[in-house]
Amino acid sequence: MDNMNLNKHISGQFNTELESVRNQVLVMGGLVEQQMNDVIDAVHAQDKEVAKRVVERDRKVNSLEVSIDEECTRIIAKRQPAASDLRLVIAIIKTIADLERIGDEAKQVAHMVIDNANKTQPPLVSIEHMGRNVVKMLHDSLDAFARMDVEAAIKIHASDIKVNREYESVVRELMTFMMEDPRSIPNVLKVLWAARAMERVGDRCKNICEYIIYFVKGKDVRHIDSNEMESLLK
Amino acid sequence: MISVSPTTANAQALDLANLTEAQTALEIKDLNLYYGSKQALFDVSMKIPKGQVTAFIGPSGCGKSTLLRCINRMNDLVDICRIEGQIDLHGTNIYGRSVDVAALRRRVGMVFQRPNPFPKSIYENVVYGLRLQGIKDRRVLDEAVERSLRGAALWDEVKDRLHDNAFGLSGGQQQRLVIARAIAIEPEVLLLDEPTSALDPISTLVIEELINELKSKYTVVIVTHNMQQAARVSDQTAFMYMGELIEYADTNTLFTTPSLKKTEDYITGRYG
Repeated sequence: MDNMNLNKHISGQFNTELESVRNQVLVMGGLVEQQMNDVIDAVHAQDKEVAKRVVERDRKVNSLEVSIDEECTRIIAKRQPAASDLRLVIAIIKTIADLERIGDEAKQVAHMVIDNANKTQPPLVSIEHMGRNVVKMLHDSLDAFARMDVEAAIKIHASDIKVNREYESVVRELMTFMMEDPRSIPNVLKVLWAARAMERVGDRCKNICEYIIYFVKGKDVRHIDSNEMESLLK
Repeated sequence: MISVSPTTANAQALDLANLTEAQTALEIKDLNLYYGSKQALFDVSMKIPKGQVTAFIGPSGCGKSTLLRCINRMNDLVDICRIEGQIDLHGTNIYGRSVDVAALRRRVGMVFQRPNPFPKSIYENVVYGLRLQGIKDRRVLDEAVERSLRGAALWDEVKDRLHDNAFGLSGGQQQRLVIARAIAIEPEVLLLDEPTSALDPISTLVIEELINELKSKYTVVIVTHNMQQAARVSDQTAFMYMGELIEYADTNTLFTTPSLKKTEDYITGRYG
């Protein structure tokens, strides 16, 4: 990409290595996004088979994390990257850890679908809606990562608050179900955990946006509020 | 909530533009240098802090060695060299009229790329500068030899053969011997011009470790082609390009988030 200047190293091999590890992250991101999409379809259709496929495919996500990690370790050992190259490698290592955890959350929601199928359960409309929003957020984050787009990253970072609000309202809704019919509690709890998993995906997208900002600006914007972040990025 | 300031890592970094007089070892002011009609340094101004390691990096011919040589007036030996501007060492201009160059070089020691011990014994190499100063007292000399060799992390390896010829030492040992010779006269500033470029990786690490210890007593200025070395040993780094000082910042900042693209391209091995 233009603003990454990956192909400008004197060492052509270093160019290739960085380019390839970055491409692998995009592949992994695509896979995780597909996992999330599939699992939400599974929630919508109560489709056990799709959910099972998601659980199965999580292994592939895990192995991608391991191989990208290895590649990054090799680059650090052999090339001693500095400045933006170093920040890229660090951002990649952290991003794939979050992607892997997003994969785990997808798997968890898939388990909820598998366990709850054919049982009486609360309507899943609101959790599905929340899921679609989270997937959009993930999609945008990966897009921003591919282009290393700070402006987009800041926007996505701020949008996590919407997911959090939606999660709160899902929780309230599920509590009403539990109060109305205590026998539904075991099932509702599983749905609650799924909602929680989706909310965590939003947080992890936020992390990825922070790594994008770190790579481009060289500033660490974790654990600070939006005002501080704005003044830091000026 | 505990607020974590993102700048804590650089909290100890000095404000290089506003060093107080007490913190400054060397102040270079508007230095221009010409070799004949060719200008080699352009308006270099910087403050080098006391008791720290400052590294000069940059591609070949960028003027970093030339700048280093200005600090103990080695360029005086080059006939066609002309210098404008001034360098203050602890507040006094070393290019002032009344400055005794030999005395200046006692205050500013230098170590070169290739170890250059004299064809004498290890002992005589270390005390050479002291003998020049007319010191003859055996006890003073013995004491200086042990102190300097210990300071250069060489004592344990040579203490039983102090009177052997220095040429019998390995390259890394010779370089440490030369450093011992430089610190025997207790200079205020130590200039190192690519001190490890002729050494193997292990000797290099020994010298780097030594540099880290030396800064407790001396101000160290090092020129190096090895960027990782600059990153490892220095507290601040100056990047030079085509005779200009491009960026001067604390090493942690310069190697993770340089503020200029030229610096970035150089330290990441890119062409512009």
